[in-house]
Amino acid sequence: MASMIILLPIILPFFGSFIIIAKPFRDRLKMRICTMSIVLATMFIALYAIYFSGVESLTVYRFASNMSLAFRLDGLAKFYGTMVSILWTATTIYAFEYMSHEKYEQRFFLFFTMSFGVVLGIAFSANLLTLYLFYEFLTLTTLPLVMHEMDKKAYHAGKIYLTHMMGGASLAFVGLVIIICYSNNIDFKLGGVLNPAMVAGNENILRFTFLVAFFGFGVKAAIFPFYYWLPTASVAPTPVTALLHAVAVVKSGVFAIIRLTYFCYGIDLLRGSFAQNIMMGAALFTIVFGSTMALKTSHIKRRFAYSTMSNLSYIIFAVSIMTLNGLAGGLLHMLYHAVVKITIFFCAGAILVQTHREYVKQMEGLGTKMPIIFGCFTVAGFGLVGVPPFAGFHSKWNIAIAALQSANPLAYAGIMVLIISALLTALYVFTVVISAYFPKTGVLENRDDTGAHDPPKLMTLPIVALTVLSVVLGFMPAQLMQLLRFIISS
Amino acid sequence: MALLLPFLVIFPMAGAVVSYIIGRRNKNARNMFANALVTVEFAVAIFMSSKSVEFSSASFCGLGINFADGGLRGILSVLCGFIWFTSTLFSTEYLKSYRNRNRYYFFMLSTLGATMGVFLSTDFYTALIFFEIMSFTSYVLVVHDETEEALYAGATYLAVAVIGGLVTLLGMFFMYHLTGTLDMRELGEIIKNVSDKKPYYIAGLLISFGFGAKAGAFPLHIWLPQAHPVAPAPASALLSCILTKAGVFGILALSCQVFMYDANWGFFVLIIGTITMVLGAVIAVFSINLKRTLACSSLSQIGFILVGIGMQGLLGEENALASGGTILHIINHGVIKCTLFLCAGVVYMNIHKLNLNEIRGWGKDKPFLKIVFLIGLLGIVGIPLWGGYISKTLLHESIVEYSHLLVNAGQSTLIFDIIEWLFLFSGGLTLAYMTKLYMALFVEENPYPEKHSSKGKYMNHTTTAVLLLCATIITVFGILPHNTLDVIAHCARPFMNSTDPAHAVHYFSFANLKGALITVVIGAAVFFLFVRKALMATDENGNRVYIDAWPSWLDIEKNIYRPVLVKILPAVLGCAAKVFAGFLEDLMFVILVVFVLVVRFFTESFEYIAEVGMYIFLNKEMPKYGEKREYGDDVYFSTFTPELHDEEKGFRENLSGALVFFGVGMVAALLYIIF
Repeated sequence: MASMIILLPIILPFFGSFIIIAKPFRDRLKMRICTMSIVLATMFIALYAIYFSGVESLTVYRFASNMSLAFRLDGLAKFYGTMVSILWTATTIYAFEYMSHEKYEQRFFLFFTMSFGVVLGIAFSANLLTLYLFYEFLTLTTLPLVMHEMDKKAYHAGKIYLTHMMGGASLAFVGLVIIICYSNNIDFKLGGVLNPAMVAGNENILRFTFLVAFFGFGVKAAIFPFYYWLPTASVAPTPVTALLHAVAVVKSGVFAIIRLTYFCYGIDLLRGSFAQNIMMGAALFTIVFGSTMALKTSHIKRRFAYSTMSNLSYIIFAVSIMTLNGLAGGLLHMLYHAVVKITIFFCAGAILVQTHREYVKQMEGLGTKMPIIFGCFTVAGFGLVGVPPFAGFHSKWNIAIAALQSANPLAYAGIMVLIISALLTALYVFTVVISAYFPKTGVLENRDDTGAHDPPKLMTLPIVALTVLSVVLGFMPAQLMQLLRFIISS
Repeated sequence: MALLLPFLVIFPMAGAVVSYIIGRRNKNARNMFANALVTVEFAVAIFMSSKSVEFSSASFCGLGINFADGGLRGILSVLCGFIWFTSTLFSTEYLKSYRNRNRYYFFMLSTLGATMGVFLSTDFYTALIFFEIMSFTSYVLVVHDETEEALYAGATYLAVAVIGGLVTLLGMFFMYHLTGTLDMRELGEIIKNVSDKKPYYIAGLLISFGFGAKAGAFPLHIWLPQAHPVAPAPASALLSCILTKAGVFGILALSCQVFMYDANWGFFVLIIGTITMVLGAVIAVFSINLKRTLACSSLSQIGFILVGIGMQGLLGEENALASGGTILHIINHGVIKCTLFLCAGVVYMNIHKLNLNEIRGWGKDKPFLKIVFLIGLLGIVGIPLWGGYISKTLLHESIVEYSHLLVNAGQSTLIFDIIEWLFLFSGGLTLAYMTKLYMALFVEENPYPEKHSSKGKYMNHTTTAVLLLCATIITVFGILPHNTLDVIAHCARPFMNSTDPAHAVHYFSFANLKGALITVVIGAAVFFLFVRKALMATDENGNRVYIDAWPSWLDIEKNIYRPVLVKILPAVLGCAAKVFAGFLEDLMFVILVVFVLVVRFFTESFEYIAEVGMYIFLNKEMPKYGEKREYGDDVYFSTFTPELHDEEKGFRENLSGALVFFGVGMVAALLYIIF
């Protein structure tokens, strides 16, 4: 039972997190040590499981002949699991400092740690049923994080979040039912799990249900028109916005879409059909819509929430190309965007904690006052825009190349959309950067700038580390693409 | 040896970081370090220029980066090293009283590395990477003064650079899709054998967009007359002399390698070049700001270079004169404009003014500066014995040569006659605006003298030496063209696929001198009849002063580009998004209302039944159907209305529209299970 080790990183945070709340900590340091040790242990076990245990699947419980609760570490699971583990640890360090400015720290870390296990569960699931289960779990464990402030705004955001997620899950449920009905074994397999004999004659119904499920999972990926929860949820504390709404929750949605498209329905059924066109169209519209809204929004966290929405649709667009190169490009963007966007949110959070400023106009002239924060923000911003040779450039390049190779007319239009969106991205990122470094004359004189300096080391450390990581990753896209192609095929 | 190529790129960038760290401790040491760095860079560039080596790193940055040196790349990298060398040495004195010098040095040195990267690249992918880095690092140089003017110009610069870069990227996607490579030579090989070139032209056009924007080609020149003057003078020199050449390099690669000997492409570049050439010269004549005039002059000279590039395409294999003229004009313009900008820098450094009326007469008692400026003037106008003459003669000859070819082939030469005359006319305008500057600065008496005429030292020895060096080079180039410029042209020929001309060009023969003579006549006529008459007016005290007579409605940047980009584009996109989103929202809202009504009907009915039951069994009061009840705050789950943010009008508040698709999903699932 060597493969039992897969279960450990999923269960450990779940039960471990109760220690955080059960024990009334007298001093903050002990609580931090406790949380950190759980998170670190989870990360190490997860990484150990990912790289040293086999690929055979572990069936925990079998409901019926073709329905089971099972976990398996295939290439995609390893990729997502590694990404989540590393980013989660970085965020935990950041959250310690950030949350000391907020109330209810213990409750926060309880759910924060618990979500870690749930996301790993999503990553490691071996079939759609297990994935769906953890997907629902994730909604529940993250809800208290979104509503953390417990004021009216937070209640509202929480309700919006919950209703959207429930609705999305109900749509996704349709897909799950169909997958179970039309296949003998629902364990993920590249190329789809549907039974060809049953599929014959029902193609269009299947494609339609795929679309329903796509939009269902698309709710977490903030696809238009189900995006509204994402900017609203930016009322949550920054570590939550950063991790959950730039990495864990939204990427889980994208991850589920990848599983659904490539590993359940299979691209052969979908390619060239109306389902692909609608999926791609929705993604393309969301890209432009998200970027435009980001440009129009002056609240910095909401601005980058919209930006997240647009970038997620880059990935969905890449996925919807329905070639393996497209998928590889999409995964590359998933990785780059995760690292870059988490850095940007960390920076926004650091500014918020230090100066209590949330709007772009108020950032004027802070560049020289908070050199580390804005230095990292600028580098991450370059990555987001996709200025060569920074991170985002290569992923967009690969997506565009895959789109060209697919010979799909809509994908050609997608390249134009990528370019337009890159322009809009440049506008909404550089307006922040430029006004931070080159304020208008006279702004700085009559303004109180107390506290406008770099935050303590515990906060800057993860930011700097992630910035360095994004730059390093930006210099090795060829290797990453090779790795990703290998991952997909394994 | 090949490792010296990435060294040329990385060394200045690493040096930028080191200089920043040194600068935090000691300003002088930082200046010394920067000077030493550019000297080493210049030396390495010279050393490498004669070697023909290649360096490629396939795994680096996706498609890999590829460098080569030798030939045209070697010449451009030496020019780059030289311009940086002179302007960095000058920076020490110029920036003495400036703030944020650390930032200046950091970005100046990193721009050096990026520019080298562009010049050494052998494929468009590498070129684009360094091109983008160069655009962003040089932005900081443009806005260094942080005045409102500088920020405005910087915004234009950045916008053009970003849009240009993106369009180029788009073109590269298409080119890569069409051919599967971005290597300049390979592209040429592939396209040579293609019969239907239309898609390649489109890809080429898109690629040339970004490079053309950086070069200042019409109609993307708008940023140039704004951005060059507002930067500190040494940075202006860099921008004007060498960063524009990075754009020219891209166009050169497209024209000479990708679309080799392609007449259609050549004609296109020729037309763009002609417009830029005339336009730049005309704006320069009107300008009354010293550095702005020089910037517009750069625009016009870039036009000359583009004319040369265009002629190469048209002349095909007989492009010896055109290719020589192109590369020599790149070199000459680089050196001459550097000299002139440094002179302007000396003026600004002393009196902090650039308006011709304010700086009038400042240089009367400064013979050294006067002579250097005069040499620059003679060089750029193209007076025999100074550098510019040689290259302009070659360019002129190439147009004449093509006309001859057309005559021999029995075709109309009208267009090329016009272009020839526009060429000479622009040369004349060059003389006119340069004389205007010279007269104002060094000859005329200032009617409103200020205290600024400092009799003492107005520049230090380093600056003097730098200016002397530049002036000497211009003169040597002009006097000994066969030993200097011809050799340079010879080195560059392989890149442009041309051979040496069959017999050496007699630069000082009568036929060639005639062109210079016509130029001088036109220039003198424009200067005396137009500049002195129309562009000067008598002020209230009866003195003649320079006036800015350029009609403001001709400013296409303010009147077209900015409104389109800032207002119309977002408005259109926003409207489209809004209409679509609004439609969906309204649809959702209708469904929502229906849903709520249905739910309410059922709940109220149930409640009514329950209450009727209670009336029957528990003796409660008989209820009325539909009676208003107190629901409290939250009966429909989410009646709370958020503060509406002006930028986002999301779903209508109740139930957030989300419950609807929750229901829709459930109904769909049920329907499926039933049927």
